[in-house]
Amino acid sequence: MKKNLLHAGVFCLLVAGWLSSTVAFAQSDPSGKKRISDTYAITNATVFTAPGQAGIKATVLIKDGLIQGVGTNLSLPKEAKLIAGDSLYIYPGFIDGASDVGITKPKDPEKPDNFVSSNPSDEIAGITPWRSAVDQYSSKDSKVEDLRKVGFTIVQIMPDGGMIAGKAAIVLLGSDNSTNLLVENSGLVASFRGSRGMYPGTAVGVMAKFREVYDNTKLTTQRSQKYTTVAGLKRPEITPTYSAMEDVVAGKIPVLFSASSELEIRRAISLQKDKGFKLILTGLEEYEEVLDVIKASGAGVLVKLEIPDDKAIKAQKDDAKDEVKELNARVKESYDKALAQAGKLEAAGIPFAFTTAGVKSGDIMKAMRTMIANGLSEKAALAALTTNAATILEINKIAGSIEKGKIANLIMSTDSLFAEDSQIKHVMVDGFIFDYETKAKKKASKEGEGKGAVKIDGNWDYTSESPAGSGSGVLSIQKDGSNYTGTITYDDPSGSGKATAPISNVVLDGSALSFSFEVNANGMAITVDVAGQVDAGSFEGTMTVGEFGSFPFEGTLNPTLIANK
Amino acid sequence: MKKVNYFLAALLGLSIQFASAQVKKGSVLIKNATVLTVTNGTLENSDVLVQDGIIKKVGQNLSAPSGVQTIDATGKYVMPGIIDAHSHLGLDVVNEASSPIVAEVRMKDVVNPYSIGIYRALAGGVTISHAMHGSANVIGGQNATLKHRYGSTDPAEIIMQDAPRTIKFALGENPTRVHGRGNGIQPRTRMGVEAVLRNGFNEAIQYKKAWGEYTTASSQKNSTALPPVHNERLQVLSDIIDGKIIIHCHSYRADEIYMLINVARDFGITKLVFQHTNEGFKVAPEIAEYTMGASVFADWWAYKMEVYYSTAYNAAILTANGAITSINSDDAELIRHLYHEAAKTQRYGGMTDDQALSMITINPAKQLGIADKVGSIEEGKQADLVIFEGHPLSSYTVPQMTFVDGVKYFDIKEDANDQRLRVSATEMVEPIMIFEGHDSRCMQDTESLFETTEALFNLNH
Repeated sequence: MKKNLLHAGVFCLLVAGWLSSTVAFAQSDPSGKKRISDTYAITNATVFTAPGQAGIKATVLIKDGLIQGVGTNLSLPKEAKLIAGDSLYIYPGFIDGASDVGITKPKDPEKPDNFVSSNPSDEIAGITPWRSAVDQYSSKDSKVEDLRKVGFTIVQIMPDGGMIAGKAAIVLLGSDNSTNLLVENSGLVASFRGSRGMYPGTAVGVMAKFREVYDNTKLTTQRSQKYTTVAGLKRPEITPTYSAMEDVVAGKIPVLFSASSELEIRRAISLQKDKGFKLILTGLEEYEEVLDVIKASGAGVLVKLEIPDDKAIKAQKDDAKDEVKELNARVKESYDKALAQAGKLEAAGIPFAFTTAGVKSGDIMKAMRTMIANGLSEKAALAALTTNAATILEINKIAGSIEKGKIANLIMSTDSLFAEDSQIKHVMVDGFIFDYETKAKKKASKEGEGKGAVKIDGNWDYTSESPAGSGSGVLSIQKDGSNYTGTITYDDPSGSGKATAPISNVVLDGSALSFSFEVNANGMAITVDVAGQVDAGSFEGTMTVGEFGSFPFEGTLNPTLIANK
Repeated sequence: MKKVNYFLAALLGLSIQFASAQVKKGSVLIKNATVLTVTNGTLENSDVLVQDGIIKKVGQNLSAPSGVQTIDATGKYVMPGIIDAHSHLGLDVVNEASSPIVAEVRMKDVVNPYSIGIYRALAGGVTISHAMHGSANVIGGQNATLKHRYGSTDPAEIIMQDAPRTIKFALGENPTRVHGRGNGIQPRTRMGVEAVLRNGFNEAIQYKKAWGEYTTASSQKNSTALPPVHNERLQVLSDIIDGKIIIHCHSYRADEIYMLINVARDFGITKLVFQHTNEGFKVAPEIAEYTMGASVFADWWAYKMEVYYSTAYNAAILTANGAITSINSDDAELIRHLYHEAAKTQRYGGMTDDQALSMITINPAKQLGIADKVGSIEEGKQADLVIFEGHPLSSYTVPQMTFVDGVKYFDIKEDANDQRLRVSATEMVEPIMIFEGHDSRCMQDTESLFETTEALFNLNH
């Protein structure tokens, strides 16, 4: 009996001990997601350390969020988690020169009762240099994940706002548990955007106002300096605007000027010439005509990572009248020139990087491949995404290439990065690894097989998830010869009930199904792209809603009421 | 070492040349034409020799220096390039309508050399246009004088850099509608317009004084003077008072015209031109005595209340009373046949050929402050020329060739179907408006300021 009691006591002790140890563990990591080790070794991979460098078979060792070494004879510590890199191609993580990722526009300040549109307060007029992108940024935004998925590891985020929106910041797209902030106040974000219905309302007013703000910041600095050294002077007026502009006037930080067209580029450069600030041009879309002007200005260049849409080109018909054909030819010429622009920038010897502001992440690699197919070298393409961006953002000492001591930002792909079928398998940011599903290479479909092999025509009930809640509706697909057409119903964003839209670009390739439709929300037409896999009457995929991000989309095919013949 | 220096010098020299050679200048000899000099009468069977963009010689039996192209203009007419003193062509933005005074904005900032309207103007013989700010403000922005060097993509190359500064003013219904009725601020009436003007100029005088005092004080030893706040708006108004800028004022009624004359006299301002000036004929002697004249429509009126009391004899009456008078377009369509508009003064008022032609050449040149450079065919002037088939004041005339600085920018025989400099890569059809109705440009971008007023009173002009 006593023995039994003793046994019981020991058991209790053991259990208690076990319990207490789990309690202690739970206190340090309630999520249970803590990494076992922050040391990684990616072994025997093909490593491209910097743009223009040939791939070498090597192991990359990572610890403390830093690259500890690249080579074949590294001694790997015991705690290193090994990743077999034999079939992986490793590249430096991409850097996004300027982005709107994860940014939510702050609420417009309320207009005071005595509001005068000819002389509004700076805040209402869109002059808010004191604002910081950090305050508007959330790493949990689904667009952050979308951007990381295509290889971006560092972004310069820009605040949303008017002509002087505020200060940019540079962040890592790293683990949610880290702060991820690299540089605060990395630049001043400006544009030619006027404030509707008040001063300054147009680009011409914005330019005048920008000069005025700049000149008065200078004068305020002069007054303040004198005020601190001489007694008995009138107190200089310090405003949030002038205080926040001081770093720009002192040349400590650059102005990131959004300038998409040639004329806007010239206008930004004329302001720079006039006032003498450091300039980074961002969001460039049309620039071929002004390459020499850009070069002479010495401004940093961030090209919009996008190619023009080909709707107009595709709409051209062979049986058009001669007059129309002439016009078509001019549009085509203009389109081809637009695709070749990035290559011209490289040829002019202007080191440039990219901005993803206003760009859909899912289209980025296609845009890169198109630019490369139209004259941009792969070396310059990679440089634009890594080393050039690092130089323009002045973080080239810590990022941009795979070198000992640099931040562990890596892309691991299944093939040479810009190859057509290359897929990104892992992205490492700040020493944290993010895994992505890769699909086996599709085999070329044989005649009769592939297209149409999977049944998709019929009515599908679908559900979708988005930050706005879950939605549902009916997707109806009809076969039309060898193509598909159809409609989709969705929850009407501008009220209750369902709205219906035709679906377009329905493509069935093997079991991969994709289509698009347009949603009209508050007068704004948003294109929704859905893509995923069909498997015996069920569909699993993602829906990309314009630039707002991508969300899960699932559907089930209803049994047909018509008997199979 | 010497070689290297020589090489560097050559390189620098080249690059300087490259920078200044941006504006093209041409040489040409036009033979056997009827030359309408405008300032020195009509010369039959005469030649005009242009070298490096300048009219070198006007006379008979001139021969072309080697390398200079000769154009046989037998039976044709040559006149100075037409000058439009009121236009909004080639501007990306017309109105910064948000404040009663926006003197600080510069239309030169938003010149768009790709504008197809520039080519169309050339096809109508117009070589210079005055790209003006709109008429939504009592004191609008500073204008740009453009030379129609179509094909240049650098705005600086189509701006006439040696033209003096000009600025837009506006009286009457437009500024009172936008600010007073639309936004509930001064000016709501013509009295308010005058108050805005006088207050503006008085503030500018104070502003200039404050900076003058600061500059004097800060040059003293151990000065503790603090610089005043910079205000470009008041600086520009101060420049107007100092005679550095020519005012071009949108106006219709005689009372408001006379009001501005009095304001200008009170502040010692003499560089003043009235635009539109439909009731100018009522105050023609005053305009002649105190201003640089009026730039009017030939026969366009009744598009709003303040423009009902008008006459096609306006230009003739102004001219007869000694006011410098020009005929303008204010419109992308009218600009293509200003020679017809000028001819109307012969039907209504019996103007002579030279008087009528002056209204679209030397007179607008005087009003823009460029009459020493352009506006007539005289030796030493810039070679802006048009060759016409038929007399330019005939209804049947057709412009054949247009030259700016001796460079041919329009030739009816080489007029391709599509003259656009740039084509969108993503749009099959780009909307291009020719006629948009009066005020569509003058009042562009002002809609947001009086949406409610518009809805309440159904005001379209």
